[in-house]
Amino acid sequence: MQPPAIRTSQLTKRYGPLFALDDLDLTVAAGEVFGFLGPNGAGKSTAIRLLLGLARPTAGRAWIFGIDAADVATAHRRIAYVPADVTLWPQLTGAEILELLGATGPGVDRAYRDELVARFELDLSKPARAYSTGNRQKVALVAAFATRAPLLVLDEPTSGLDPLMEREFRRAVAEVRDSGRTVFLSSHQLAEVEAVCDRVGILRAGRLVDVATMPELRRLRRTEVLVRFAGPAPDLTGVEGVDGVQVDGPALRFTLTGPPGPAMRALAAADVTTLTMREPTLEEIFLDYYGESGR
Amino acid sequence: MTISGSPRSGTATAAVTRLALRQVSRGALAVTAVAAGTTAIVVAGYQGTVGGALDAAALAALAENPAIRTLFGEPVALDTAGGFTVWRTGTVLAVLLSVWGLLTTTRVTRGEEESGRWDLLLAGRLTVPAVLGRHLVVLAAAVVLAGTTVGVVLTAAGTPSAGALRYAAGLTLVGLFAVSLALLAAQVMPTRAGASGATLAVLGVGLLARMVGDGIAALGWLRWLSPYGLLALTGAYHDDRLLPLLVLSAAALVPAVAAMALAGRRDLRAGLVTAPAGRPPRRWLLGTVEGFAARRLLRPLAGWSVGIGTYFLLIGLLTVSMTRFLSDNPRFAELAGQAGFAELGSVRGYTATMFALLAAPIGLFAAIRLAEFVAAETDGRLTSLYAQPVSRTRLLAAETLATLAGVAVLLTVAAVTTWLGAYPMDARLPLTAALAGTWNVLPIVLLCLGAGLLAVGWLPRATAAIGALPAVGGFLLQVIADSADLPDQVVAISPFAHLAAVPAESPNWPAALVMTAIAMVAAALGLLNHRRRDLLG
Repeated sequence: MQPPAIRTSQLTKRYGPLFALDDLDLTVAAGEVFGFLGPNGAGKSTAIRLLLGLARPTAGRAWIFGIDAADVATAHRRIAYVPADVTLWPQLTGAEILELLGATGPGVDRAYRDELVARFELDLSKPARAYSTGNRQKVALVAAFATRAPLLVLDEPTSGLDPLMEREFRRAVAEVRDSGRTVFLSSHQLAEVEAVCDRVGILRAGRLVDVATMPELRRLRRTEVLVRFAGPAPDLTGVEGVDGVQVDGPALRFTLTGPPGPAMRALAAADVTTLTMREPTLEEIFLDYYGESGR
Repeated sequence: MTISGSPRSGTATAAVTRLALRQVSRGALAVTAVAAGTTAIVVAGYQGTVGGALDAAALAALAENPAIRTLFGEPVALDTAGGFTVWRTGTVLAVLLSVWGLLTTTRVTRGEEESGRWDLLLAGRLTVPAVLGRHLVVLAAAVVLAGTTVGVVLTAAGTPSAGALRYAAGLTLVGLFAVSLALLAAQVMPTRAGASGATLAVLGVGLLARMVGDGIAALGWLRWLSPYGLLALTGAYHDDRLLPLLVLSAAALVPAVAAMALAGRRDLRAGLVTAPAGRPPRRWLLGTVEGFAARRLLRPLAGWSVGIGTYFLLIGLLTVSMTRFLSDNPRFAELAGQAGFAELGSVRGYTATMFALLAAPIGLFAAIRLAEFVAAETDGRLTSLYAQPVSRTRLLAAETLATLAGVAVLLTVAAVTTWLGAYPMDARLPLTAALAGTWNVLPIVLLCLGAGLLAVGWLPRATAAIGALPAVGGFLLQVIADSADLPDQVVAISPFAHLAAVPAESPNWPAALVMTAIAMVAAALGLLNHRRRDLLG
């Protein structure tokens, strides 16, 4: 039986009186794509720094495929990492940085790397100082995806990517999963997490508040619907999945959970002029689901 | 009543001025304090000792010696406190003020731009020339403050005010020239480092022109082409000439005007000369962390080698002339002895003294390399390497080994250039003696490296200061101790007190071994905690 890709036991990091991470017990199985969610300052990056041995835990331990995370020279043979804020050596070109990270890293699939460079439309001849935030992230992503490391730790890797590159990113994650490797993805973007992750952990104020599979997370999702109509207001009382109905003149707002069929049938009776649906941000879901306390 | 955020450009420019002041003020005060302090110490010291010790014949001998003239400038009016102070400190302070001025100018203009912090500033109503203009005013005020304070110190010490005024004006104008040239370079060059380098090169050539012009009478006109030469030509306390100051004013004004004119014509974060958009990869030394540490070292090492090599080539060329002068004029040898330079009358004694000085710049080199390693950790450049299957100890050891190799190169460069300079002058300084002399300071450099590694482990943000302490602090302590009669126990703290005058004497092996042992213990303690602590950033 293969040991879990990541296991932590009462992992705690304190900066003075502040608990940046409090008693984290987490297991990520090998081959899983795990989403790590949480608002700013929740402790996601701290947890990742502890997993990588970049910071030392105040208490508790972490293991990467059964190896103590503090033994970085051994543990890192199994990890590729993309930091949240990618800083590159400004005088090196993209090609030189990939060469350095490939040669010093856990082995690299050069053919796949060249393919990724083309797919991410990365100009490798530029010195890093000329790269935008998104391009710096692309260099780090290509370096990480092209390694043979069985675990990829990605800390908010797509915050600077445009939608086309975001799509390439999701494809690359899918390819990693197909090859049986593990991805630990920290993110703000619910849609991204939903698209690629099997399981999600939610962190708030340094504590792990929930670990859920994707179907469980979908139950949290509430779509905001805005309907404008002519004539009498449609009646949505008692319709399945509809909540928080507000009528404001010729406009109607409500939130929708689960399949939209029943609500659509109820609206069909009215003279609807426009229908707008907006997915709430992760922040709104958090505030909705957990309330303001504990932030 | 003032409404905050009201659309008046006055409040916006005032805010930019305050921003520039915040970034410049601390350095400006430090430079002013050093300039004023050095001037005060030398002018007070003259009244205590030098004034009585020099007679007319000695002064004439001094003025004729090309070596003295090359190193310190043409000695004029040395029989006055003001003239002596200008001769002894003028070039040093002018170099200090101009180098500070140029580095600060590129830092607060192009440096801030490249970091992206000016994007927000310029998204408002202010234009690039307006923001640059406010910074120029603040930088100029800082230079004027330093120059004026030196003038006030000299006047307060009782030197004639006309001379003090000329000298203070000259010093200020040299500083303004550096600021204005750096501002121009910052508009033209593609990067901040390029702008700093170009300005530094111009100032370096200027200093060399001053030295050659002072040393060789037929090439005296070269001094008109150099800011430092023009400062010397002013002849403060001697003939108080005005024309050099006028030339210097024009030289300071023209680049500033050109910079302001060009500022509006370039893109933000780029110079008028644009960097090439791309280049083919250079893959050498990228295969291991040790190789990469060496690769990052090469460029700074080349710069340090040129600087140290030029200086010691000059020392070699001047060796015979200096030693002959000092053995003919025992009064100067005595004065030098009081300031901590003994045995200057022989080639080996003279070069030994000069080689001991080498510990300060090379110790500083080692400290700066380790501080740069910490800077790369702090800003995240090293994160991707720390995430590789490489232990932290190996990364730091690679950096330490590369730095040690750099130290070996610099020690050898100093020996070879001294030998090259001394050889055509028949100085009888074999290459082996020169090498023994420069490598003799290695234990002090190792102390710097050990102290720096200790800091990397336990107090990383203070790496530069702690690493430089054994060499720079030890040297200052030694100089002060010789002049001020400090008790022996205090003097013994300085590693320089335990350095033999190689090649005049044989090396002090026990002291070298003790220093090396201390350095290794400090390094081991530093490596130990570097492995355990949280990374910065």
